[in-house]
Amino acid sequence: MLVVAIETRATALLKESGMGERRAALGARAANRLARLTRSALTFVVAAAALFGVEPGLAASNKVRISNLADVAFGTVANLSVDALQSQSVCVYADTNTSGYNITGIGTGPGGAFQLSSGASSLSYDVMWSSSAGQSSGAQLAPNVPLTGQSSGATQQACNTGPATSASLIVVLRSVSLSSAAAGTYNGSLTLLIGPE
Amino acid sequence: MDYARYSRLSALCVASLIVSGTAGAATQGSLGATSTGSISIGASVPNRVQLSGLTDVSFANQDPATAAASAQNVCVWSNTSTKGYNVTATGSGTANAFTLANGALTVPYSVEWAQTSGQASGTALTTGSALTGLKSTATNALCAAGPSSTASMIVKMSTANLQSMQAATTYTGTLTLVVAPE
Repeated sequence: MLVVAIETRATALLKESGMGERRAALGARAANRLARLTRSALTFVVAAAALFGVEPGLAASNKVRISNLADVAFGTVANLSVDALQSQSVCVYADTNTSGYNITGIGTGPGGAFQLSSGASSLSYDVMWSSSAGQSSGAQLAPNVPLTGQSSGATQQACNTGPATSASLIVVLRSVSLSSAAAGTYNGSLTLLIGPE
Repeated sequence: MDYARYSRLSALCVASLIVSGTAGAATQGSLGATSTGSISIGASVPNRVQLSGLTDVSFANQDPATAAASAQNVCVWSNTSTKGYNVTATGSGTANAFTLANGALTVPYSVEWAQTSGQASGTALTTGSALTGLKSTATNALCAAGPSSTASMIVKMSTANLQSMQAATTYTGTLTLVVAPE
């Protein structure tokens, strides 16, 4: 229940000089009438809002945050014939009217490609995103291209209260890439950019 | 005394920095109009090889006056930095000899290997001994992309051995090939 205190005022525009007592009294009465009308109208709006369950709230700040990210370590991939997958649940908070956001992934390969490198050798990987936690699959990200239409269930910017995580990040080394990669230790980084929607 | 306390504090700070330096590189985003986080990704791919594209060899109704040879193109894939490999062959005869048999009847054959495809001859293999220093040109583990085959395996039977065989008798055996990365 939201209580709103409204102070209403109306002022008659009176000319100081050259205006008689009667005109001044008329002006004051008109001002009071206007004030009463305004007060009634606002009371009606608040009552209607309460009746229909619409309560005035704070405006969304359109701010977002991504946290709870962890490094991904595949270790030694023994079987190159099957996909290697690592998923993690992360916190994405979006203080927008719809809790909406978009996400853009940028790798360290040429042009932001999702590639790991080992000397001159490279190993491509896929990145998938789901707007719910605990998922092992999701929508595939393309480098530098925002995945739009995502919605967050987070109620606190670092997920300290409410859901502890709100989205899933999935990194996949495809067997076709693994089986054509030179032996070696590959490293790279993935940057994730969140924007409000 | 103050100096000693300061020294201990400095040492503690240095130790903390060292520990922090070895921690994960994940960075968390902050609350703002946009938010950026990053993670590091690491994977290690071990040395691996694969031999594929092998087919059975059959010498049917072979004329004993003519030496028999059967060459086939196979795919050897190696992911080492040099794409190197070695191959070891063993037969199903006594002491892994390259022999075919029908009961007590046996006949020898020979095996040759070339590191390029389309060859009718190569380096003779000795059972149980690795032929080393070979290189592959395969870019895909099963040669599904790139070259469709990378090596040649040739099985031969000399006229002398063919002439030692009993007519209208089928001799069989198994040849096992082991490829290892180099």
